[in-house]
Amino acid sequence: MARLIGRRLLLMVPTLILVSILVFALAEVLPGDLGRSILGPYASQSAVVQLDHKLGLNKPIYVRYVEWAGHFVTGQWGTSYQYGQSVFSIVTHALGNSLLLAGFALVIIVPTSILVGVFAGLRRDSLLDRAITVSSLSMTVIPEFVSGVVLIVIFAVTLHWLPVTATPPQGSPFVDRFYYLILPAIPLMLLELGYIARMARVGTVQVLDMAYIRTAVLKGLPMRRVVFGHVLRNALVPTVTVIGSQVGWLIGGLVVVETLFVYPGIGNYAVNAALNHDQPLLEACVLVIAVLYMIANLVADIVVALLNPRIRKAG
Amino acid sequence: MSVVEPQGGSQAQVGTVEPAAALDVRDLEVTFHRRGRDLPVLKGVTLRIEPGEAYGLVGESGCGKTTLAMAALRYLAGNGTVDAGKVLVEGRDVSTLSKEALRKWRGEAVAMVYQDPAAALSPAMRIGDQVAEVFRYHEGLPKAEALKRAREGLRRVALPDPDATMRRYPFELSGGQQQRVVIAMALAVNPHLLVLDEPTTGLDATVEAEILDLIEELRGRIHASILLITHNLGLVARLCERVGVLYAGRLVEEGPAREIFTDPRHPYTMGLLRCVPKFGMNKTDAALQTIPGTLPALGEPLEGCVYSARCPMAKPVCTRREPDLYGWPGDGGPTGRAEAEAMPADPAAYSPHHASPVGESARHARCYFSAEVAEMPHMTPVLATSLEARGATAGDVLQIGDLSRTFKDGRKKLTAVSDVSLNLRRGETFGLVGESGSGKTTLAKCVTGLIAPDSGTVTFEGNQLRATAGRRSQDALRAIQMVFQNPDSTLNPAWSTRAILTRAVRKLGSGGSVRAKVDKLSADVRVEPRFLAQKPTDLSGGQKQRIAIARAFAGDPTLVVCDEPASALDVSVQASILNLLVELQTNEQVSYVFISHDLAVVRYISDRIGVMYLAELIEVGSAEEVFNPPHHPYTEALLSSIPKLQFEDEQQRIPLRGTMPSLSEPPSGCRFHTRCHRFLGDICVEQEPPLQEPAHGHTYKCHIPPQELLAAQATTEAVTPTGG
Amino acid sequence: MAATGATPDRQMEELQADAAASAEQRRQRRFIISSLFRTPTFLVGLAVVVFWITMALFSTHVTQSPTTPSGAILSAPDGSHWFGTDDLGRDVFARTMAGARTVLIIAPLATVLALLWGAIVGLVAGFYRGLTDDIIMRIVDAFLALPIIITSILIISLLGRSYAILILVIGALFTPVVSRTIRSAVIGEREREYVMAARLRGERSAFVMAREILPNITQPIIVEGTVRLGYAVFTAATLSFLGFGLEPPSPDWGLVIATERGVLQSSPWVVLFPALALASLVVAVNLMADGLTSVFSK
Repeated sequence: MARLIGRRLLLMVPTLILVSILVFALAEVLPGDLGRSILGPYASQSAVVQLDHKLGLNKPIYVRYVEWAGHFVTGQWGTSYQYGQSVFSIVTHALGNSLLLAGFALVIIVPTSILVGVFAGLRRDSLLDRAITVSSLSMTVIPEFVSGVVLIVIFAVTLHWLPVTATPPQGSPFVDRFYYLILPAIPLMLLELGYIARMARVGTVQVLDMAYIRTAVLKGLPMRRVVFGHVLRNALVPTVTVIGSQVGWLIGGLVVVETLFVYPGIGNYAVNAALNHDQPLLEACVLVIAVLYMIANLVADIVVALLNPRIRKAG
Repeated sequence: MSVVEPQGGSQAQVGTVEPAAALDVRDLEVTFHRRGRDLPVLKGVTLRIEPGEAYGLVGESGCGKTTLAMAALRYLAGNGTVDAGKVLVEGRDVSTLSKEALRKWRGEAVAMVYQDPAAALSPAMRIGDQVAEVFRYHEGLPKAEALKRAREGLRRVALPDPDATMRRYPFELSGGQQQRVVIAMALAVNPHLLVLDEPTTGLDATVEAEILDLIEELRGRIHASILLITHNLGLVARLCERVGVLYAGRLVEEGPAREIFTDPRHPYTMGLLRCVPKFGMNKTDAALQTIPGTLPALGEPLEGCVYSARCPMAKPVCTRREPDLYGWPGDGGPTGRAEAEAMPADPAAYSPHHASPVGESARHARCYFSAEVAEMPHMTPVLATSLEARGATAGDVLQIGDLSRTFKDGRKKLTAVSDVSLNLRRGETFGLVGESGSGKTTLAKCVTGLIAPDSGTVTFEGNQLRATAGRRSQDALRAIQMVFQNPDSTLNPAWSTRAILTRAVRKLGSGGSVRAKVDKLSADVRVEPRFLAQKPTDLSGGQKQRIAIARAFAGDPTLVVCDEPASALDVSVQASILNLLVELQTNEQVSYVFISHDLAVVRYISDRIGVMYLAELIEVGSAEEVFNPPHHPYTEALLSSIPKLQFEDEQQRIPLRGTMPSLSEPPSGCRFHTRCHRFLGDICVEQEPPLQEPAHGHTYKCHIPPQELLAAQATTEAVTPTGG
Repeated sequence: MAATGATPDRQMEELQADAAASAEQRRQRRFIISSLFRTPTFLVGLAVVVFWITMALFSTHVTQSPTTPSGAILSAPDGSHWFGTDDLGRDVFARTMAGARTVLIIAPLATVLALLWGAIVGLVAGFYRGLTDDIIMRIVDAFLALPIIITSILIISLLGRSYAILILVIGALFTPVVSRTIRSAVIGEREREYVMAARLRGERSAFVMAREILPNITQPIIVEGTVRLGYAVFTAATLSFLGFGLEPPSPDWGLVIATERGVLQSSPWVVLFPALALASLVVAVNLMADGLTSVFSK
């Protein structure tokens, strides 16, 4: 088991390097003249050249990359062009906010959607199952800003049950934050509910067709035992795998929701950094998000290994 | 004794307790509904299994035998319905059980053992927990107690080291061990009826024999009745007292096993017995009888007797009205013949004066003309010519020298083929036998070039071949072709059959009209032209395999490697494929490397045979030499493990100790020493055995010299009869 | 043995056989289509998609102008303006109907690109395996580690906003996912015996990939394509919401929702209708994908 984790962590390294190259290429190389894109088309050429020089853009690419990578690993993430503050402090602060929002949404929705999906799978092709399948399908694909907008109109504007903003006023107790997070969390929850429930259902349906379920039933086991002892454990494997890869869409959702509700999370900062060509902040945000994604997949892999002894023993 | 139910309308009286049949199926009709069509699978099947009896239900695919078992356990798939009839287990009507009663009843009254033990076990649960479950939920035992009983159960099925096995997961056990676990679970709470559905299909021959030994031994101790469902007649002969033959959802013959197999009275049973190669039979002795036509498709409406379309004895009355199950020999009730003669032209006007089955005899056959079955006309397919006539003395066509190949599995190195050498002459068939893991398929792939060997040479017609097919000349490719095992994936489902053959002719052929060649190929393999326009999915298994053979012959090959070409086909179709291969060999003078796990088939079709064990070729010789003493102890054990149909010679079974060693850690010295029943001692562990040569061309690897071996084996083995 | 050669009887027989075979194929295709039409979710999805395609093509001929003001500013829905007017006095109904155009151009084209590139990558990786596969999959994994929205933002911020760039970027970013699916389908097929038979004929790799394997994986490709289409619509809309789609005054739905957010509390109709329109299209595409999946799996 430990060997498995070690191997996976080791495999993350080349991927991480590749990702960093990609980010570097996209952020620093692609724009061409970075100085120009920062200062805009109306600045004078000499000002651009000066900025280029200041940013060290006249050095060869691989040197720049190695320097940049080195800085990154040691925590020197530079200063934000927009805010003038240390990128590191901005990103860590924003990350905390995002994790709170995402965590809140996931903790509620992951167990719920698994149960819903398994329930639908057990009653395959019944009216209830069709209803669950179609509605979860519909909820998955609705973009978060759409559902967010509709929710705001209904719950905040019309009914006044929930606040429109996502952050409580300064000085409020920590617990208050969750009240304000409800509305932004719902689009995230809807997105994940649909996807996870569908995968749980598919997993359940596949397992129910397996020969070992027939064995379990014909052994005379009560249905309760068949489901919890045999179906669940095996149906969860494809579900958990998919949850890991779904984090990518969750992150996209986070970006949208944070923008819509003007919430100071890492997604919001990333969008603004991109719009304003704030390279250091943008690069840091993207890399942190990528690392987060890889860690989420690693956790999913570990959970799958716990569920599936074949993978666990193979190492 | 369980509840007594009044049977057949008779009154149950106090004091007269009639034991209820273990299984009582009455006029069962089951239909499946698929895509809006109704497909009747079982059409009125009636059978009875008495307590303590073993009953074999035989039939080929689609005959409905598994459906019967599922109906008995009330576990039909969602789209299957019981339209008529009843199933009573120990006198209780299965359909009247409440859900809770059904649950308890499953496991306690009826238990089942399945075909694919790996799939039947829950992959993420430890063995011990799975077996203990039965005790926990049937006898309400607490976990610790249940685990103890589970351990006992595993001991009962002769699993070595039950404690360690309890902690393992199914994928860590071998096929034989997995099946033992399934049997242990089935027998856990002492069921009264044990249903075995193809319990040994897919297991190696020696493992199969062990499982059968186990079942026989357990029978003596458990007093359960047994329903054995299989297509393998030998199994039934070994294990069962009575047998029922199922064809197209109808019971066509029933009675004591010994009588039915020695004196069948239904044309289908006779056909089945004839098309299986008798042990010791070779293609130069006699051709295999086949059953012409194909199995009826599921749901196909059949007029009159379900077998009439394929029956060589069919008369007009057979298609007018279906015969009843008549007793055999006559028992005072109407005989089939009498009914046939009394039949008016319009069968609807005829009303029988009896219920089915007719009479009280122990045997029944659903045929009007049972009396004539013994003289059923033989077919006369082409007989194989002798080796000389096939040009087989004209020198070697293939030489394999010291071929080796290893695979990496994670960090383990598996030796699949280890220093194998053999020669093949023109027009000759070399049969390659071995169990799973022996390396025969890997060897075949090295010969054809699908896999490159690590070392060693393959020489064809004097020229050394390049390792992989991609680097061989077109000429070499044309000359060496392969026929694969699985008819469903051997032809590209997206291409039409004609396109498949046309492409093969284009790539492998040597000029001339492509279309004419394609037509000739399909004629040679007896596939009618109208099938050429269709896609493979519309063809039957036998037809697909014929096209695969035609494809291999597209370039007039010199050598065709056949990897289990008939194993995936029904018995009645197998014979026609084997006959086809023999015929093609005679006409085209092609050599075969024929791989199979079925020893009777290999004995039949091969001129020479090689036996592989754990990546080594441990014996080579003519078919006659290898199958008779003196031969390698492994060969000896292999031959003894086949369940045969002959009742006269009771050959002694030689059980092998232990299990097949892993390919990553082959035993030292002689690889077979860990399981050999003729183990000599340290010499077998320390030294590689030399090549013994009892006759010219016959070699085997063993420390025991031929004379000693002959003397030892001649006493334990009965002389196997040659010829049918 | 049967006589060979093209006698008139045989020709007749073969013609009949060919006709029978193509009739069989047509029947099978018809069966799939008729099954589809019997799936209510598929039909509903199809209806909505057809509606929006029609709107994308013809709406400007039947509605008021989506770009020129035609009424009072921010007036609530009434008889003359079914969906009300926006902050510039433009008819919201007209803008909503016209907004379908951008999405329906970008998403399908991006999906087709992704399928094309993904098929090539997936076929090569899945067929050759070994080192080629390892390298390709590492690269694919690296791309997959970058969340699509974030990466699109990154690229578009540098390259600018236009139809072409959006299509290329979304197509390129969906390629890794598509290639994974196709790769696993290829791996499933390549161990089949007909592939081995092709190798024994000396067929070249390109032939085997294109003519032997590819025709047998069309079903998973179609399913993947329709699922990706749904995600492409989703992504295109999200990008324009975040400000990386097309420029105003395009009536593109995402853009409208983003720019009109300010009046959400006072005049919700301006934002609500485009939101609902977008939701309906996205859901409809996915209902069709779902219908196809279930019909193919029967």
